[in-house]
Parts: sequence; structure tokens; C-alpha cells
Amino acid sequence: MDELSRAQIRDLMAQVLANQGKALPDDDGTDLREIGFRSLDFSELALRVEDETGEELNFDAPGLRRIATVGDVLDFLVTLQRQ
Amino acid sequence: MSDTPVVPPSTVVLVSGGSRGLGLAIVTDLLAAGTKVAAFARTVTPELAQLAAEHPDRVHVGAVDVTDLPAVQAFVREVEQRLGPVDGLVNNAAVGQDSMHTHTSTADLARIVETNLTAPLQLTRLVVRRMLGQGRRGRIVNVTSICAQRGFPGLVAYSATKGGMDAATRSLARELGGRLLVNAVAPGFFASEMSAVLGSTQLDQIVRRTPTGHLTEPAEVVPVVRMLLREQTNINGQVIVVDGAASV
Ligand SMILES: NC(=O)c1ccc[n+]([C@@H]2O[C@H](COP(=O)([O-])OP(=O)(O)OC[C@H]3O[C@@H](n4cnc5c(N)ncnc54)[C@H](OP(=O)(O)O)[C@@H]3O)[C@@H](O)[C@H]2O)c1
Repeated sequence: MDELSRAQIRDLMAQVLANQGKALPDDDGTDLREIGFRSLDFSELALRVEDETGEELNFDAPGLRRIATVGDVLDFLVTLQRQ
Repeated sequence: MSDTPVVPPSTVVLVSGGSRGLGLAIVTDLLAAGTKVAAFARTVTPELAQLAAEHPDRVHVGAVDVTDLPAVQAFVREVEQRLGPVDGLVNNAAVGQDSMHTHTSTADLARIVETNLTAPLQLTRLVVRRMLGQGRRGRIVNVTSICAQRGFPGLVAYSATKGGMDAATRSLARELGGRLLVNAVAPGFFASEMSAVLGSTQLDQIVRRTPTGHLTEPAEVVPVVRMLLREQTNINGQVIVVDGAASV
């Protein structure tokens, strides 16, 4: 199974936001609250990654609660794919 | 007048998940109230072992997984040999959850349902069969949760199991025709290993929404469990919420 790269996940994240009429800033340090990226959006993104890779991504909420920035989202999903 | 005599107070109580948290508090309280207590969990903690050492003729403990039916059966037999026939059961053992339903693995879903719903139904069946078969009366208390009645994110499967136990409580109370009193106690959130996963923001939010201004303490739940096991009341088939009106 092929893993998605960080850049590919970034593209998917941009699509999730674009569907809501929002843009994904270039800066990975952007706070998720600033762009209104909530836990359900994270879930949607994770499911899109699953669709691409065919592998289920399961995780507990405490890990999710530590995610604060765009970069955190990408790092979390890159790591999760490897578990 | 009914020809059904009252159900006497329980004298030998089996508590699942009695090693820590609320279960340990229930065991300690029942011992202080003079009952004999049998308790199990997958691991016997030093606290539970100490109670057993302090009251060798009134306590029986074991390391048993509630989902391992033959082990549970063997434990119940041991308890009856050591303490006498079981006439009280507290279904307390459970596992928590803190994951969105969409991202909870199917294996985890199965484990939550097996531990929190299937296993207590099986333990109840086992204990009720022994009570009825020996013509005894008894009492059952199911520890459920406010999650059975109100929605909480991250607790979908857990809530389903607790709602299932609330429903089973009502039907079992009907089915047993007054020979056993069957009730549930549904606490609000309290600090324990299970709720440790909740972030401080969530706990603060629960406290803010609670008219009594604090999280429920195990010490505030145990008197209700004791009452249902020991007092003469006509409470049967009920779910008693202990949450400081957080859910009202
Ligand atoms: N904490 C809360 O906020 C809260 C709120 C409402 C309701 N409740 C309910 O209150 C009850 C007690 O919860 P708690 O907070 O005291 O939890 P806890 O501290 O995690 O204790 C759970 C107990 O169940 C045992 N247990 C778990 N899985 C088991 C298994 N497979 N076989 C045998 N024993 C098992 C544990 O021991 P081992 O792990 O060693 O097996 C432990 O003794 C549960 O029914 C819970 O659903 C809790």
C-alpha cells in the first residue's frame, strides 16, 4: 500500500477547506482555529487519505486534541499512516 | 396484598471491576456496612489485596477477565464456597472510550461491546440462574452512565453499551417478577482512570454545567448503590442518575 506524502495530504486538506469556501494558508504554523478547521474536518481529511491508500486510520481523541496547527495535522496523518 | 415477600438485603455481594475507582469504593463501603464482598478485575491492585488481607473471612478477590466466561464461572463457584451463596451483584467493570466513532477500529468497537454489554449480561445470567435455582432472592445493581441518556462526543460505542444496560435493567426487573430487585445507577463524570482521558477543558465545561458545581465523587455514588443493595425500598427497574443535575 502506498503512503501519501506530506505534500499530497496538504493538497487533500486544501480540498476539504475549498469545499467550505476557505483557503489553506501556505504557513504550516497557522492555527487551526484561525481557518476554522475543526475535528470533523480532520475526520473528513483522514477519510480522504483512507480513500487514497485503502487503509483505515483509527486514532483516539486525546491525540487529536493536541493538534493545533496546519503542520500538526500533516505530521499527525503522516505518522498515523505508518502505524 | 401481594404474595411476593420482600427481597431481603444482600449479604454476599459480587462486584465486578472492584480493583480501583468506583468499584473499589463500592467494595470498601459494602464491607463497612457489614456485607461479605467478592470482587474481581483483570489485575488485583494492592488496595484490593489489602482489603482481602484485612477481612479474610468476608472478602474474596481474584484476577479474572469479565469477558472470560469459564473464568468468571469458576470465580463465582469459589466465592460461593468461601463466602456462601451470592445474593447481590454489582455490574461495575467497564472500559471507557475516547475516539470518534468513524475512527474507532472495529476491534475496539467489539471489545467495548463485549466488556460493557455482553459480559455483564452473561455474568447477570450466571448469577440469576444460581439465585433462582436455589430459590433465593437477591438484588442487582448495574453501574451505567449519564452517557446512556445524553450525548457525548467520543463515546458512541460506550454510550450504546450503557444504554443497553439501562434497557436490560428494566426488562430484567419485569422478567424476574419481584424475586430480584434490579436497578441501575448512572453517575455523571467523576475523576478516575477511565475519565483521565478527558481534557481539562472538557472537565471544566462539565463542572460549569453542573448546578452543584463539582464533578460527581465516587463517595457520592456508593450510598446509592448501598441503598439499592441493602435498604428495604420498592425501587425496581429504575435508573438513578447521580450527576448533580448536570444533565437536567
Ligand atoms: N469515570 C467516570 O467518569 C464514569 C462516569 C459514569 C459511569 N462510569 C462507570 O463507572 C464504572 C466504574 O468506572 P471507573 O471510572 O471507576 O473506571 P476505572 O477506574 O477504569 O475502573 C474500571 C474497573 O473495571 C475493571 N475492568 C475493566 N475491564 C475489565 C475486564 N475486562 N474484566 C474485569 N475487570 C475489568 C478494571 O480493572 P482491570 O483494568 O484491572 O481489569 C477496574 O477495576 C464503570 O461501569 C463506568 O462505565 C464512570
